[in-house]
Amino acid sequence: MEKISDALLYERVKGKDKEALEELYDRYEKMLYSYLCKMTGDRDLAEEALQEVFVKVWRGIGSYDESKGKFVAWLVTMSRNSAVDLIRKQKKPSVPLDEIAEVESTDSSVEETAEWQEKSDQIHQAVRHLSEEQQKMVQLFYFKGYTHETIAEKCGIPLGTVKSRIRLALKKLKTSLQAVQEGGVLDDKREL
Amino acid sequence: MTNVNCDQLIDYLNGTLNEQEQKQFEAHLAECPECRDIVDATGELPYLAEPVQPDAGMKARILDAVFDEGEQDASETPAPKRERTVPPVAVPKRGFRTSKWTPLVAAALLVSLLGNAYAFYELSDQPDAPTAPEVAFETVDLQASETFEGTGTAALVHEEGALNLLVQANQLQPTSGDQVYQVWLLKDGKPIPTGAFTPSQENEGAVFFSLEEDTEGWDTIAVTLEPNRGNTAPLGEVVLSAAIEPEA
Repeated sequence: MEKISDALLYERVKGKDKEALEELYDRYEKMLYSYLCKMTGDRDLAEEALQEVFVKVWRGIGSYDESKGKFVAWLVTMSRNSAVDLIRKQKKPSVPLDEIAEVESTDSSVEETAEWQEKSDQIHQAVRHLSEEQQKMVQLFYFKGYTHETIAEKCGIPLGTVKSRIRLALKKLKTSLQAVQEGGVLDDKREL
Repeated sequence: MTNVNCDQLIDYLNGTLNEQEQKQFEAHLAECPECRDIVDATGELPYLAEPVQPDAGMKARILDAVFDEGEQDASETPAPKRERTVPPVAVPKRGFRTSKWTPLVAAALLVSLLGNAYAFYELSDQPDAPTAPEVAFETVDLQASETFEGTGTAALVHEEGALNLLVQANQLQPTSGDQVYQVWLLKDGKPIPTGAFTPSQENEGAVFFSLEEDTEGWDTIAVTLEPNRGNTAPLGEVVLSAAIEPEA
């Protein structure tokens, strides 16, 4: 039997189908929670952010449809923004760059699924094709809970420049990721 | 960049567009494959993080909050009554403390408790009939983890300041060495041990546990397969779990 698409499940969620929401939750719980733990450095805060995301999904705040891209990307954007808000509200300092490794799961008994491993390999490989500056932009924007304004302030770069750098970094990431996923050879001259 | 709207992509991802800008950008997104591809790529970023296993109670906590909040705000139809709870019923006071029961006795006890609950429900016009003393009763089917074949049921009986817990499980994987199946009650993600058992030859097991202090507010019940008896925090994998109704 073919797996129901996220978009179809979301349609059912809009009709207040609890099972559909639970299915979506099961699909992305670990992925989003892992991301939020890394971003906040705090399991409780990560859980709070994840709860906010699913409350929004359930209540139809910021409705999704396929014209907005993949459902999972929409969830990731909401997760990031929930965590950014929570970090700001709690005035909790986001995790310093050099301490991020400490957030890693201490539970070594957790068996990573093959899917996780594959996805993780792909994105890590794609990130290695970014320049150091571009990696830093992705790191600050997606993993340190900084808004683009904060990055501009901290790095002493105009906001417009920060935005275009993040955009370029993400664009290159997309191109590298597609190349990695298709198993193709990256032609760096083609980039940017 | 092909369109002035493309400039707003990062504001969109940052959630800083106002309502009108947001709508405009979403319309742009539907038309601009490049922006959409970039958005899609961000969906893979979480895999840069190390996998972190959520604790056993998180899903129940989050989904309960999601559905409760949804119902409060939507105020459409009243919340459907949860099937897993039954109205408070009179159960004869039992004097036992922590003790292990054979699966057969446990099964009989469970059936008798369920029978009481059912009979009371049938006879009573009102679920909260005044004759019911301060005893609340709840049963819940335990959900098996993805890799676990077994099944289980838990019954919780609140009576006069004590919380009695009966857990029964079937089709258990046999234990080896010092391994035991350990039952836990969790409150806000923090577990306490509430009895352990090893499966019989028929791969069944059960345990009865009575809490006389701190009987309120437990939200999750879980069974783990522990490497040994007597752990105060779970070391093994969760094999069975369920959300329970915290007592008000």
